[in-house]
Amino acid sequence: MSDNTLNVQQQSGAVQTTGHAWDGDLQEYNNPLPRWWLWCFYGTVVFSILYWFIYPSWPVGQTWLKGFGTVSYTIADKATGKEQEREHRWNTRALLLEDLGDAANNKQRRDMLAKVQAAGYDQIVKDPKMMEFVRSVGKGLFGDNCAACHGRGGQGAKGMYPNLTDDDWLWGGSMDQIHETLVRGRNGFMPAFGQVLKPEQLDDVAEYVLTLSNEAKPSEASERGKEIFHGQTGGCYYCHGADAKGVQSQGAANLTDKIWAIADVDPKKTLQDNKSAVKDFVAKGVNNTRVMPAWKDRLSPTDIKLLAIYVRQLGGAK
Amino acid sequence: MAQSSAFPAEQYNFDIVRKFMIVAMIYGVIGMTVGVYIASELAWPFLNFDIPALTFGRLRPVHTSLVIFGFGGSALFATSYYIVQRTCQARLAFPWLAEFTFWGWTAGVALGVMTYMAGFSQGREYAEFEWPLDLAIAVVWVSYILVYVETIRRRSQPHIYVANWFFLSFLLAVALLHIFNNLAVPVSLTKSYSLFAGVQDAMTQWWYGHNAVGFFLTAAFLGMMYYFVPKQAGRPVYSYRLSIIHFWALIFLYMWAGGHHLHWTALPDWVSTLSATFSVLLLMPSWGGMINGIMTLSGAWDKLRSDPVMLFLITSLSFYGMSTFEGPLMSLKSVNALSHYTDWTIGHVHSGALGWVALVSFGSFYHLMPRLYETKLYSQTLIYVHFWLATIGIVLYITSMWVAGIGQGLMLRSFDDYGNLAYTFIETVEFMHTPYVWRALGGAFFVVGALVMAYNMVMTVRASRIERAALEAKLAAKLAQA
Repeated sequence: MSDNTLNVQQQSGAVQTTGHAWDGDLQEYNNPLPRWWLWCFYGTVVFSILYWFIYPSWPVGQTWLKGFGTVSYTIADKATGKEQEREHRWNTRALLLEDLGDAANNKQRRDMLAKVQAAGYDQIVKDPKMMEFVRSVGKGLFGDNCAACHGRGGQGAKGMYPNLTDDDWLWGGSMDQIHETLVRGRNGFMPAFGQVLKPEQLDDVAEYVLTLSNEAKPSEASERGKEIFHGQTGGCYYCHGADAKGVQSQGAANLTDKIWAIADVDPKKTLQDNKSAVKDFVAKGVNNTRVMPAWKDRLSPTDIKLLAIYVRQLGGAK
Repeated sequence: MAQSSAFPAEQYNFDIVRKFMIVAMIYGVIGMTVGVYIASELAWPFLNFDIPALTFGRLRPVHTSLVIFGFGGSALFATSYYIVQRTCQARLAFPWLAEFTFWGWTAGVALGVMTYMAGFSQGREYAEFEWPLDLAIAVVWVSYILVYVETIRRRSQPHIYVANWFFLSFLLAVALLHIFNNLAVPVSLTKSYSLFAGVQDAMTQWWYGHNAVGFFLTAAFLGMMYYFVPKQAGRPVYSYRLSIIHFWALIFLYMWAGGHHLHWTALPDWVSTLSATFSVLLLMPSWGGMINGIMTLSGAWDKLRSDPVMLFLITSLSFYGMSTFEGPLMSLKSVNALSHYTDWTIGHVHSGALGWVALVSFGSFYHLMPRLYETKLYSQTLIYVHFWLATIGIVLYITSMWVAGIGQGLMLRSFDDYGNLAYTFIETVEFMHTPYVWRALGGAFFVVGALVMAYNMVMTVRASRIERAALEAKLAAKLAQA
């Protein structure tokens, strides 16, 4: 920040002030404007004038200077559907059309999209190129629409949103079933048994449910629970099936595997903790807490198709 | 020296200056602490504990109002009332009205932040106060103008010192901005609707918002700088000519730049262009103030080694220069396309708010304390401690926001081979977690520094009381003997 004028003043030792003094010793030198400062200021003026020539700028009467900058983009003619190149004076709308054109005209994207739209689920799944494309689009679709509940990687949140990565599907894991889930949404329901069963009975049922996946060894209590489960008292088998393997059309969970979507059962925990987790859940049931919205009016059929494949491969399904 | 320094504490009204300085420190520490808390909420969202009054949306205006109006505003009241008296060699006019500005301003800020926490807000950035408070603030502000202008009219100096020009422009501009931006139709005591609609409403808001930065946080603090830097350095201001040119350029150009907050929105393209260029034109006029401040020290650079107060003042000017370079850069359409809606903006604001506004206020307060209380500062070492805590805090803050903001901006515009977005929004949020932690840490450093200063201030005031008591006892003893 050294400039000539200052050096001159310092060398000569004769620094001039304006001659005014405030509050005792408050004075002002009258140094000229630093030359570099002045030239930089002129520079910004020149820059601004150039900027005004390129972009729309000063208002004049009812309109404004349009600027000399241009944007070219490709757009389909509304009547004939024929694509044509157009050039327009720079403005935000023309820029948007350019961006949209770039996206729509990305040849790789356009070709792959057409291919995926035409192909059936079986074909897509078998074609590594198409699957690569599905993952490219699906990641964004999933991240923007599904990740808020299911997590970015589809890992879900225990007790609230199902894990999509374990290849265990409450409502079915075939392509058509996932498609159906996306289109119509789902509403998981299980009645609350807290009023229906006595606390001891809830204990027994919980113990029986844990034996189904070998989290607990059969006991007298579990035998009593079995009767409730398979009898009229509990009637659990209506939905979960006589084999307790669940019924996908009901969204009823398979109780014989080690996957726990809601009750926080963990082999590392004590039997007592696991039992109270199951018991708590059976008492409360599920009512309007596990709702997935329908996407048919929010996403295009192609988006839903791509998402169905993306979600299915998250679970590791071949 | 002789004419004014005989008994300044009796010649001038220092009581009002002391009060505003103390309130500035209290609001400053609370406001900055709230800032650290909401920064932590962004890093660890559980911290809102599902209590509506503690959520980011409610606490954010609490933070901004406390630091801008509570801390910055009170600091300006304190220093402007001090400067106008000393440079005009006149006691403050209308002491009762000045007293009213103190209680009005302090209560207005306190009421404002309480209403925000209760959920009442106009939803206009930096102007969230609902209409009854807006009216009250307007009354306080007009009183401030009356006190200030009348004091200048009563001056016993032929010329008006440069610091006062800046304060006058600030007084006038803030009145205009406050009144026009808050024109609204009340529907109840706690709810009103803006008089403007759509993009015109947005433009009015940012005309206000940017000039709040321009006149409140820049012009007025330059006024502060123009007094305390030469005074602390004991040297004349570098260039009177430069001060005139950059003053008029600054206040003329600032008024037009607000549209750059609305690039790439419904704002017409031509407005956007003009505001970008006026922002670029602002660069050199802004730097004029920095040059005049820093060059005042030319030939006495050794003071930076021996005087920690000077260190505060000169560092604040360096941050001022940096953020007024960054601002025009970010106002260019193409740069803004990357920076807008990212944390780069937040980092930019804080390099100005922490680096410039807060540091220059701290430096000025350190200059004021011994003079207002007629004693020595309690500890010089603690000023150094404060300086380094503050500087480390600012550097952590702005670098982490560059990483978060520019990083997110780049992620949001990257595409894969198919032209699909390479990252989802949620991935950018995950990416920002680490910089958010660093930012909260930087803010914490800054708050600790402010607490060190508050301690230094309390101890200085205590020492002054003890000294005065001792003096009085001596006098009483002498009188008794006689």
